Amino acid sequence: MRDMKSLCSPCAPWFKIFMLIWALMLAGCGREAMHQSQSYVFGTLVDITIYGESDDRARVLSNHVLQEFQRLHDQLHAWKSGSELDRLNTAFAAGQSVSISPELAGILSDATRLAQQSGGLFNPAIGHLIQTWGFQGEEFKPVYPDPAEIRNWVAANPQMTDIALEKGMASSRNPAVRLDLGGYAKGWSLDLAADYLRKQGVKGALVNIGGNIIAIGSHGNRPWRVGIQHPRQPGPIATLELPDGWAIGTSGDYQRYFELDGQRYCHILDPRTGHPAQGVREVSILVPPGTRAGTLSDVASKPIFLSGDGWRAAAQRMGVEHAMLIDAQGKIHLTAAMRQRLKFTDKNVALEVLP
Amino acid sequence: MSRWKSFPSPLPGDWLILAIGCAAVAMLFVTLWQSEPAGKLRIRAGDQVFATLSLTQKRTLEVPGPLGISRIEIDNGRARVAADPGRHQYCVKQGWLTRAGQVAMCLPNQVSLELLGGEKAYDSLNY
Repeated sequence: MRDMKSLCSPCAPWFKIFMLIWALMLAGCGREAMHQSQSYVFGTLVDITIYGESDDRARVLSNHVLQEFQRLHDQLHAWKSGSELDRLNTAFAAGQSVSISPELAGILSDATRLAQQSGGLFNPAIGHLIQTWGFQGEEFKPVYPDPAEIRNWVAANPQMTDIALEKGMASSRNPAVRLDLGGYAKGWSLDLAADYLRKQGVKGALVNIGGNIIAIGSHGNRPWRVGIQHPRQPGPIATLELPDGWAIGTSGDYQRYFELDGQRYCHILDPRTGHPAQGVREVSILVPPGTRAGTLSDVASKPIFLSGDGWRAAAQRMGVEHAMLIDAQGKIHLTAAMRQRLKFTDKNVALEVLP
Repeated sequence: MSRWKSFPSPLPGDWLILAIGCAAVAMLFVTLWQSEPAGKLRIRAGDQVFATLSLTQKRTLEVPGPLGISRIEIDNGRARVAADPGRHQYCVKQGWLTRAGQVAMCLPNQVSLELLGGEKAYDSLNY
Protein backbone atom coordinates (compact mmCIF):
# COMPACT_ATOMS: atom_id res chain seq x y z
CA MET A 1 0.00 0.00 0.00
CA ARG A 2 2.79 2.32 0.97
CA ASP A 3 4.55 1.50 -2.34
CA MET A 4 1.48 2.27 -4.35
CA LYS A 5 1.08 5.64 -2.70
CA SER A 6 4.67 6.68 -3.36
CA LEU A 7 4.14 5.67 -6.98
CA CYS A 8 1.32 8.11 -7.27
CA SER A 9 2.60 11.01 -5.21
CA PRO A 10 4.68 12.48 -8.10
CA CYS A 11 1.39 12.57 -9.97
CA ALA A 12 -0.01 15.24 -7.68
CA PRO A 13 0.95 18.22 -9.90
CA TRP A 14 -0.52 16.40 -12.89
CA PHE A 15 -3.64 15.83 -10.93
CA LYS A 16 -3.91 19.57 -10.28
CA ILE A 17 -3.43 20.36 -13.96
CA PHE A 18 -5.97 17.71 -14.87
CA MET A 19 -8.51 19.23 -12.47
CA LEU A 20 -7.79 22.71 -13.85
CA ILE A 21 -8.41 21.57 -17.44
CA TRP A 22 -11.52 19.76 -16.29
CA ALA A 23 -12.80 22.93 -14.61
CA LEU A 24 -12.12 24.95 -17.77
CA MET A 25 -13.98 22.39 -19.85
CA LEU A 26 -16.95 22.62 -17.52
CA ALA A 27 -16.83 26.41 -17.77
CA GLY A 28 -17.23 25.95 -21.51
CA CYS A 29 -20.53 24.25 -20.80
CA GLY A 30 -21.85 27.52 -19.39
CA ARG A 31 -24.18 29.67 -21.49
CA GLU A 32 -22.75 31.74 -24.29
CA ALA A 33 -22.57 35.46 -23.67
CA MET A 34 -25.73 36.05 -25.66
CA HIS A 35 -28.64 38.18 -24.58
CA GLN A 36 -31.96 38.19 -26.38
CA SER A 37 -34.89 40.47 -25.73
CA GLN A 38 -38.24 40.68 -27.45
CA SER A 39 -40.93 43.29 -27.44
CA TYR A 40 -43.88 44.47 -29.53
CA VAL A 41 -43.39 47.85 -31.21
CA PHE A 42 -44.60 49.21 -34.61
CA GLY A 43 -47.44 46.69 -34.34
CA THR A 44 -44.96 43.86 -34.78
CA LEU A 45 -42.33 41.80 -33.02
CA VAL A 46 -38.97 43.40 -32.25
CA ASP A 47 -36.12 41.04 -31.46
CA ILE A 48 -32.71 42.25 -30.27
CA THR A 49 -29.82 39.80 -29.83
CA ILE A 50 -26.57 41.04 -28.32
CA TYR A 51 -23.45 38.93 -28.17
CA GLY A 52 -20.33 39.36 -26.06
CA GLU A 53 -21.67 41.79 -23.45
CA SER A 54 -22.54 41.11 -19.84
CA ASP A 55 -26.20 40.36 -19.24
CA ASP A 56 -26.72 43.63 -17.36
CA ARG A 57 -25.12 45.80 -20.00
CA ALA A 58 -26.92 43.98 -22.81
CA ARG A 59 -30.21 44.58 -21.01
CA VAL A 60 -29.50 48.30 -20.62
CA LEU A 61 -28.54 48.59 -24.31
CA SER A 62 -31.60 46.68 -25.53
CA ASN A 63 -33.91 48.74 -23.33
CA HIS A 64 -32.48 51.95 -24.72
CA VAL A 65 -33.02 50.73 -28.29
CA LEU A 66 -36.58 49.61 -27.50
CA GLN A 67 -37.37 52.99 -25.94
CA GLU A 68 -36.09 54.72 -29.07
CA PHE A 69 -38.32 52.46 -31.19
CA GLN A 70 -41.30 53.28 -29.02
CA ARG A 71 -40.58 57.00 -29.36
CA LEU A 72 -40.36 56.70 -33.17
CA HIS A 73 -43.51 54.58 -33.21
CA ASP A 74 -45.43 57.28 -31.32
CA GLN A 75 -43.98 60.04 -33.49
CA LEU A 76 -44.52 58.32 -36.87
CA HIS A 77 -47.81 56.54 -36.18
CA ALA A 78 -49.93 56.92 -39.31
CA TRP A 79 -53.39 56.86 -37.82
CA LYS A 80 -53.17 57.49 -34.07
CA SER A 81 -54.38 61.02 -33.47
CA GLY A 82 -51.79 63.21 -31.78
CA SER A 83 -48.69 61.71 -33.40
CA GLU A 84 -46.43 64.16 -35.20
CA LEU A 85 -47.25 62.46 -38.51
CA ASP A 86 -50.97 62.70 -37.80
CA ARG A 87 -50.71 66.44 -37.16
CA LEU A 88 -48.82 66.78 -40.43
CA ASN A 89 -51.49 64.82 -42.32
CA THR A 90 -54.26 66.95 -40.82
CA ALA A 91 -52.44 70.12 -41.93
CA PHE A 92 -51.86 68.73 -45.45
CA ALA A 93 -55.57 67.91 -45.84
CA ALA A 94 -56.48 71.44 -44.74
CA GLY A 95 -53.87 73.02 -47.04
CA GLN A 96 -52.01 74.47 -44.08
CA SER A 97 -48.36 74.82 -43.20
CA VAL A 98 -47.10 73.20 -40.00
CA SER A 99 -43.79 73.14 -38.13
CA ILE A 100 -41.99 69.79 -38.02
CA SER A 101 -39.01 68.40 -36.14
CA PRO A 102 -35.63 68.27 -37.90
CA GLU A 103 -35.76 64.47 -37.54
CA LEU A 104 -39.07 64.19 -39.42
CA ALA A 105 -37.86 66.68 -42.03
CA GLY A 106 -34.82 64.44 -42.59
CA ILE A 107 -37.04 61.37 -42.92
CA LEU A 108 -39.33 63.10 -45.43
CA SER A 109 -36.56 64.34 -47.71
CA ASP A 110 -34.89 60.89 -47.64
CA ALA A 111 -38.22 59.16 -48.38
CA THR A 112 -38.88 61.61 -51.22
CA ARG A 113 -35.51 60.78 -52.79
CA LEU A 114 -36.26 57.02 -52.58
CA ALA A 115 -39.78 57.52 -53.97
CA GLN A 116 -38.33 59.31 -56.99
CA GLN A 117 -35.66 56.64 -57.46
CA SER A 118 -38.40 53.97 -57.48
CA GLY A 119 -40.35 55.76 -60.20
CA GLY A 120 -43.23 56.28 -57.76
CA LEU A 121 -43.67 52.58 -56.88
CA PHE A 122 -42.51 53.33 -53.36
CA ASN A 123 -44.98 56.01 -52.37
CA PRO A 124 -45.52 56.85 -48.68
CA ALA A 125 -48.02 59.58 -49.73
CA ILE A 126 -50.84 57.08 -50.44
CA GLY A 127 -52.08 56.90 -46.84
CA HIS A 128 -55.67 57.54 -48.01
CA LEU A 129 -55.55 54.44 -50.25
CA ILE A 130 -54.12 52.30 -47.45
CA GLN A 131 -56.86 53.57 -45.16
CA THR A 132 -59.53 52.87 -47.80
CA TRP A 133 -58.37 49.26 -48.01
CA GLY A 134 -58.54 49.04 -44.25
CA PHE A 135 -54.86 48.14 -43.76
CA GLN A 136 -54.48 50.88 -41.19
CA GLY A 137 -55.52 49.43 -37.86
CA GLU A 138 -54.26 46.48 -35.85
CA GLU A 139 -57.36 44.44 -36.65
CA PHE A 140 -58.47 45.39 -40.14
CA LYS A 141 -61.71 44.03 -41.62
CA PRO A 142 -61.80 41.79 -44.70
CA VAL A 143 -63.99 44.09 -46.81
CA TYR A 144 -63.65 45.07 -50.45
CA PRO A 145 -63.68 48.88 -50.58
CA ASP A 146 -65.83 51.11 -52.78
CA PRO A 147 -64.17 51.08 -56.27
CA ALA A 148 -65.14 54.72 -56.87
CA GLU A 149 -63.24 55.75 -53.76
CA ILE A 150 -60.15 53.88 -54.96
CA ARG A 151 -60.39 55.56 -58.38
CA ASN A 152 -60.65 58.97 -56.73
CA TRP A 153 -57.52 58.55 -54.62
CA VAL A 154 -55.53 57.22 -57.60
CA ALA A 155 -56.72 60.15 -59.77
CA ALA A 156 -55.76 62.63 -57.04
CA ASN A 157 -52.17 61.38 -57.58
CA PRO A 158 -50.58 62.16 -54.20
CA GLN A 159 -46.77 62.29 -54.47
CA MET A 160 -43.91 62.93 -52.05
CA THR A 161 -42.79 65.74 -54.39
CA ASP A 162 -46.03 67.59 -53.56
CA ILE A 163 -44.55 68.26 -50.13
CA ALA A 164 -42.56 71.45 -49.56
CA LEU A 165 -40.10 71.69 -46.66
CA GLU A 166 -38.85 75.13 -45.75
CA LYS A 167 -37.32 76.57 -42.58
CA GLY A 168 -38.74 73.90 -40.31
CA MET A 169 -42.20 74.15 -41.90
CA ALA A 170 -43.95 71.57 -44.07
CA SER A 171 -46.86 71.95 -46.45
CA SER A 172 -48.40 70.06 -49.35
CA ARG A 173 -49.70 71.56 -52.55
CA ASN A 174 -51.87 68.46 -52.95
CA PRO A 175 -54.46 67.95 -50.15
CA ALA A 176 -54.70 64.24 -51.13
CA VAL A 177 -51.25 63.59 -49.66
CA ARG A 178 -51.54 61.50 -46.52
CA LEU A 179 -48.28 60.06 -45.21
CA ASP A 180 -47.97 56.44 -44.12
CA LEU A 181 -44.38 55.46 -43.38
CA GLY A 182 -45.23 51.77 -42.90
CA GLY A 183 -42.66 50.78 -45.55
CA TYR A 184 -39.94 53.05 -44.26
CA ALA A 185 -40.00 53.59 -40.50
CA LYS A 186 -38.79 50.09 -39.56
CA GLY A 187 -35.73 50.40 -41.81
CA TRP A 188 -34.96 53.90 -40.54
CA SER A 189 -35.20 52.61 -36.98
CA LEU A 190 -32.82 49.73 -37.80
CA ASP A 191 -30.18 52.23 -38.95
CA LEU A 192 -30.70 54.29 -35.82
CA ALA A 193 -30.30 51.20 -33.60
CA ALA A 194 -27.20 50.03 -35.47
CA ASP A 195 -25.56 53.48 -35.13
CA TYR A 196 -26.29 53.56 -31.42
CA LEU A 197 -25.03 50.04 -30.70
CA ARG A 198 -21.83 50.67 -32.67
CA LYS A 199 -21.18 53.92 -30.79
CA GLN A 200 -21.60 51.98 -27.55
CA GLY A 201 -18.83 49.64 -28.68
CA VAL A 202 -21.01 46.57 -29.15
CA LYS A 203 -19.11 43.87 -31.04
CA GLY A 204 -22.04 41.71 -32.00
CA ALA A 205 -25.76 42.37 -32.34
CA LEU A 206 -28.68 41.40 -34.52
CA VAL A 207 -31.71 43.71 -34.60
CA ASN A 208 -34.95 42.38 -36.08
CA ILE A 209 -38.00 44.62 -36.50
CA GLY A 210 -40.92 42.66 -37.90
CA GLY A 211 -38.62 40.53 -40.03
CA ASN A 212 -36.34 43.35 -41.23
CA ILE A 213 -32.86 42.60 -39.90
CA ILE A 214 -29.53 44.42 -39.60
CA ALA A 215 -26.28 42.82 -38.39
CA ILE A 216 -23.65 44.46 -36.23
CA GLY A 217 -20.34 42.63 -35.92
CA SER A 218 -20.63 38.88 -35.55
CA HIS A 219 -21.76 36.11 -33.24
CA GLY A 220 -18.37 35.59 -31.60
CA ASN A 221 -16.07 34.01 -34.16
CA ARG A 222 -18.76 33.17 -36.69
CA PRO A 223 -21.01 35.48 -38.73
CA TRP A 224 -24.66 35.99 -37.83
CA ARG A 225 -27.02 33.59 -39.58
CA VAL A 226 -30.58 34.40 -40.59
CA GLY A 227 -33.42 32.41 -42.14
CA ILE A 228 -35.81 33.70 -44.83
CA GLN A 229 -39.42 32.76 -44.13
CA HIS A 230 -41.12 30.40 -46.60
CA PRO A 231 -44.17 32.26 -47.98
CA ARG A 232 -46.52 29.29 -47.58
CA GLN A 233 -44.93 27.02 -44.96
CA PRO A 234 -43.83 27.49 -41.38
CA GLY A 235 -40.05 27.79 -41.16
CA PRO A 236 -37.36 29.08 -43.52
CA ILE A 237 -37.09 28.56 -47.30
CA ALA A 238 -33.37 29.39 -47.11
CA THR A 239 -30.70 30.51 -44.68
CA LEU A 240 -27.72 32.81 -45.15
CA GLU A 241 -24.88 34.49 -43.35
CA LEU A 242 -25.41 38.16 -42.59
CA PRO A 243 -21.99 39.81 -42.22
CA ASP A 244 -21.25 43.01 -40.31
CA GLY A 245 -23.32 45.95 -41.55
CA TRP A 246 -25.52 43.99 -43.94
CA ALA A 247 -29.31 44.27 -43.82
CA ILE A 248 -32.08 42.02 -45.13
CA GLY A 249 -35.66 42.95 -45.91
CA THR A 250 -38.66 41.03 -47.17
CA SER A 251 -42.06 41.96 -48.53
CA GLY A 252 -44.59 39.15 -48.52
CA ASP A 253 -48.25 38.65 -49.38
CA TYR A 254 -48.56 36.54 -46.21
CA GLN A 255 -47.75 39.24 -43.64
CA ARG A 256 -50.91 41.33 -43.69
CA TYR A 257 -53.69 40.19 -45.98
CA PHE A 258 -57.31 39.17 -46.11
CA GLU A 259 -59.16 36.70 -48.27
CA LEU A 260 -62.45 37.38 -50.00
CA ASP A 261 -64.15 34.91 -52.38
CA GLY A 262 -60.97 32.86 -52.62
CA GLN A 263 -58.85 35.86 -53.62
CA ARG A 264 -55.98 37.06 -51.47
CA TYR A 265 -55.61 40.82 -50.94
CA CYS A 266 -52.23 41.70 -49.42
CA HIS A 267 -51.17 44.95 -47.78
CA ILE A 268 -48.77 45.95 -50.56
CA LEU A 269 -50.74 48.43 -52.69
CA ASP A 270 -49.81 49.43 -56.23
CA PRO A 271 -50.01 53.26 -56.33
CA ARG A 272 -50.71 53.07 -60.11
CA THR A 273 -53.88 50.98 -59.78
CA GLY A 274 -54.82 51.54 -56.16
CA HIS A 275 -55.14 47.76 -55.75
CA PRO A 276 -53.09 45.17 -53.84
CA ALA A 277 -50.23 43.64 -55.83
CA GLN A 278 -50.99 40.24 -57.40
CA GLY A 279 -48.75 37.58 -58.85
CA VAL A 280 -45.94 37.68 -56.27
CA ARG A 281 -45.67 35.89 -52.95
CA GLU A 282 -42.41 37.22 -51.62
CA VAL A 283 -39.44 39.46 -52.38
CA SER A 284 -36.28 39.37 -50.25
CA ILE A 285 -33.32 41.66 -50.69
CA LEU A 286 -29.87 41.94 -49.16
CA VAL A 287 -28.23 45.32 -48.77
CA PRO A 288 -24.47 45.78 -48.21
CA PRO A 289 -23.08 48.02 -45.45
CA GLY A 290 -23.76 51.72 -45.93
CA THR A 291 -25.15 54.70 -44.10
CA ARG A 292 -28.75 53.68 -44.88
CA ALA A 293 -28.57 49.91 -45.28
CA GLY A 294 -31.53 49.27 -42.97
CA THR A 295 -33.72 51.88 -44.65
CA LEU A 296 -32.95 50.60 -48.15
CA SER A 297 -33.61 46.99 -47.08
CA ASP A 298 -37.09 48.06 -45.94
CA VAL A 299 -37.95 50.36 -48.86
CA ALA A 300 -36.49 48.65 -51.93
CA SER A 301 -38.37 45.34 -51.65
CA LYS A 302 -41.70 47.13 -52.38
CA PRO A 303 -40.98 48.47 -55.91
CA ILE A 304 -39.45 45.08 -56.81
CA PHE A 305 -42.57 43.31 -55.50
CA LEU A 306 -44.84 45.65 -57.50
CA SER A 307 -42.82 45.20 -60.70
CA GLY A 308 -43.62 41.47 -61.04
CA ASP A 309 -41.94 40.21 -64.24
CA GLY A 310 -39.90 43.41 -64.41
CA TRP A 311 -38.39 42.76 -60.98
CA ARG A 312 -34.77 42.60 -62.16
CA ALA A 313 -34.89 46.08 -63.69
CA ALA A 314 -36.65 47.44 -60.61
CA ALA A 315 -33.89 46.01 -58.40
CA GLN A 316 -31.26 47.64 -60.59
CA ARG A 317 -33.08 50.94 -60.39
CA MET A 318 -32.99 50.76 -56.58
CA GLY A 319 -29.30 49.83 -56.66
CA VAL A 320 -29.98 46.34 -55.28
CA GLU A 321 -27.69 43.50 -56.42
CA HIS A 322 -29.02 40.76 -54.16
CA ALA A 323 -32.69 40.04 -54.77
CA MET A 324 -35.03 37.04 -54.80
CA LEU A 325 -38.65 36.90 -55.99
CA ILE A 326 -41.10 34.05 -55.45
CA ASP A 327 -44.01 34.23 -57.89
CA ALA A 328 -47.64 33.15 -57.47
CA GLN A 329 -46.78 29.61 -58.68
CA GLY A 330 -44.07 29.33 -56.04
CA LYS A 331 -41.27 29.55 -58.60
CA ILE A 332 -38.10 31.19 -57.33
CA HIS A 333 -36.31 33.85 -59.38
CA LEU A 334 -33.10 35.39 -58.08
CA THR A 335 -29.97 37.28 -59.04
CA ALA A 336 -26.68 35.39 -59.35
CA ALA A 337 -25.27 37.42 -56.46
CA MET A 338 -28.21 36.37 -54.26
CA ARG A 339 -27.87 32.72 -55.34
CA GLN A 340 -24.30 32.67 -54.01
CA ARG A 341 -25.45 33.78 -50.57
CA LEU A 342 -28.40 31.47 -49.99
CA LYS A 343 -28.52 27.93 -48.68
CA PHE A 344 -31.91 26.50 -49.60
CA THR A 345 -33.67 24.23 -47.11
CA ASP A 346 -34.93 22.09 -50.00
CA LYS A 347 -31.78 21.14 -51.96
CA ASN A 348 -33.76 20.17 -55.09
CA VAL A 349 -35.69 23.40 -55.41
CA ALA A 350 -36.01 24.80 -58.97
CA LEU A 351 -34.37 28.21 -59.40
CA GLU A 352 -34.28 30.75 -62.20
CA VAL A 353 -31.02 32.64 -61.82
CA LEU A 354 -30.56 35.98 -63.62
CA PRO A 355 -27.23 37.78 -63.94
CA MET B 1 -0.51 26.94 -1.76
CA SER B 2 -0.59 25.42 1.70
CA ARG B 3 -4.07 24.22 0.98
CA TRP B 4 -2.91 22.55 -2.25
CA LYS B 5 -0.10 20.79 -0.34
CA SER B 6 -2.52 19.42 2.20
CA PHE B 7 -4.60 18.03 -0.69
CA PRO B 8 -4.06 14.23 -0.50
CA SER B 9 -2.37 12.56 -3.46
CA PRO B 10 -4.86 10.49 -5.40
CA LEU B 11 -4.81 6.74 -5.01
CA PRO B 12 -5.09 4.39 -7.99
CA GLY B 13 -8.73 3.92 -7.11
CA ASP B 14 -9.29 7.68 -7.59
CA TRP B 15 -7.87 7.50 -11.09
CA LEU B 16 -10.14 4.58 -11.81
CA ILE B 17 -13.21 6.54 -10.70
CA LEU B 18 -12.09 9.49 -12.84
CA ALA B 19 -11.55 7.23 -15.85
CA ILE B 20 -14.98 5.66 -15.44
CA GLY B 21 -16.51 9.14 -15.02
CA CYS B 22 -14.88 10.41 -18.22
CA ALA B 23 -16.01 7.34 -20.14
CA ALA B 24 -19.55 7.77 -18.84
CA VAL B 25 -19.61 11.46 -19.87
CA ALA B 26 -18.28 10.59 -23.34
CA MET B 27 -20.90 7.87 -23.73
CA LEU B 28 -23.77 10.10 -22.53
CA PHE B 29 -22.56 12.87 -24.86
CA VAL B 30 -22.70 10.57 -27.86
CA THR B 31 -26.02 8.93 -27.05
CA LEU B 32 -28.01 11.82 -25.61
CA TRP B 33 -26.59 15.09 -26.83
CA GLN B 34 -25.57 14.59 -30.43
CA SER B 35 -28.63 12.71 -31.53
CA GLU B 36 -31.04 15.05 -29.79
CA PRO B 37 -34.11 15.50 -31.97
CA ALA B 38 -36.10 18.75 -32.38
CA GLY B 39 -37.43 18.06 -28.95
CA LYS B 40 -38.49 21.32 -27.33
CA LEU B 41 -40.75 24.26 -27.83
CA ARG B 42 -40.64 27.79 -26.48
CA ILE B 43 -43.71 29.91 -25.95
CA ARG B 44 -43.34 33.65 -25.56
CA ALA B 45 -45.98 36.05 -24.35
CA GLY B 46 -45.24 39.76 -24.78
CA ASP B 47 -41.57 40.31 -23.91
CA GLN B 48 -41.42 37.30 -21.58
CA VAL B 49 -40.68 33.63 -22.12
CA PHE B 50 -43.93 31.99 -21.02
CA ALA B 51 -42.62 28.43 -21.04
CA THR B 52 -39.96 26.15 -22.52
CA LEU B 53 -41.29 22.61 -22.72
CA SER B 54 -40.56 19.17 -24.06
CA LEU B 55 -42.26 18.34 -27.34
CA THR B 56 -42.68 14.70 -26.39
CA GLN B 57 -45.91 14.98 -24.48
CA LYS B 58 -49.59 15.51 -25.09
CA ARG B 59 -50.73 18.72 -23.53
CA THR B 60 -52.75 21.88 -24.10
CA LEU B 61 -51.66 25.27 -22.73
CA GLU B 62 -53.60 28.47 -22.38
CA VAL B 63 -51.40 31.53 -22.92
CA PRO B 64 -52.85 34.92 -21.97
CA GLY B 65 -52.25 37.98 -24.16
CA PRO B 66 -53.75 41.47 -24.50
CA LEU B 67 -56.68 40.16 -26.59
CA GLY B 68 -57.37 37.02 -24.61
CA ILE B 69 -56.24 33.41 -24.51
CA SER B 70 -54.17 31.72 -27.23
CA ARG B 71 -54.45 27.93 -26.96
CA ILE B 72 -51.33 25.92 -27.78
CA GLU B 73 -51.45 22.20 -28.37
CA ILE B 74 -48.49 19.85 -28.00
CA ASP B 75 -48.93 16.42 -29.53
CA ASN B 76 -45.90 14.13 -29.21
CA GLY B 77 -43.35 15.68 -31.56
CA ARG B 78 -45.45 18.46 -33.01
CA ALA B 79 -47.16 21.62 -31.80
CA ARG B 80 -49.62 24.21 -33.09
CA VAL B 81 -51.64 27.23 -32.14
CA ALA B 82 -55.09 25.64 -31.91
CA ALA B 83 -57.00 28.81 -31.14
CA ASP B 84 -56.23 32.53 -31.03
CA PRO B 85 -58.41 35.59 -30.41
CA GLY B 86 -56.83 37.57 -33.33
CA ARG B 87 -59.07 38.32 -36.29
CA HIS B 88 -56.99 36.91 -39.13
CA GLN B 89 -55.83 33.64 -37.56
CA TYR B 90 -52.48 33.66 -39.43
CA CYS B 91 -50.80 31.69 -36.65
CA VAL B 92 -53.62 29.13 -36.47
CA LYS B 93 -53.53 28.69 -40.27
CA GLN B 94 -49.84 27.74 -40.04
CA GLY B 95 -50.99 24.39 -38.70
CA TRP B 96 -48.70 21.87 -37.05
CA LEU B 97 -45.04 22.76 -36.56
CA THR B 98 -42.75 19.74 -36.65
CA ARG B 99 -39.18 20.88 -37.34
CA ALA B 100 -36.73 22.83 -35.20
CA GLY B 101 -36.67 26.50 -36.17
CA GLN B 102 -40.32 26.69 -37.20
CA VAL B 103 -42.24 29.59 -35.76
CA ALA B 104 -45.89 30.61 -35.44
CA MET B 105 -46.59 34.19 -34.36
CA CYS B 106 -49.89 35.56 -33.17
CA LEU B 107 -49.00 39.24 -33.46
CA PRO B 108 -52.15 40.96 -32.16
CA ASN B 109 -52.15 38.76 -29.07
CA GLN B 110 -48.34 38.94 -28.75
CA VAL B 111 -47.93 35.18 -28.41
CA SER B 112 -45.30 33.21 -30.31
CA LEU B 113 -44.45 29.53 -30.55
CA GLU B 114 -41.02 28.27 -31.66
CA LEU B 115 -39.68 24.73 -31.99
CA LEU B 116 -36.16 24.25 -30.65
CA GLY B 117 -33.68 21.43 -30.96
CA GLY B 118 -30.22 20.48 -32.10
CA GLU B 119 -28.09 23.32 -33.42
CA LYS B 120 -30.19 26.26 -34.55
CA ALA B 121 -29.79 26.83 -38.28
CA TYR B 122 -30.11 30.60 -37.86
CA ASP B 123 -30.05 33.32 -35.19
CA SER B 124 -33.06 35.29 -36.38
CA LEU B 125 -35.83 34.95 -38.97
CA ASN B 126 -36.43 37.38 -41.85
CA TYR B 127 -40.11 37.52 -42.85
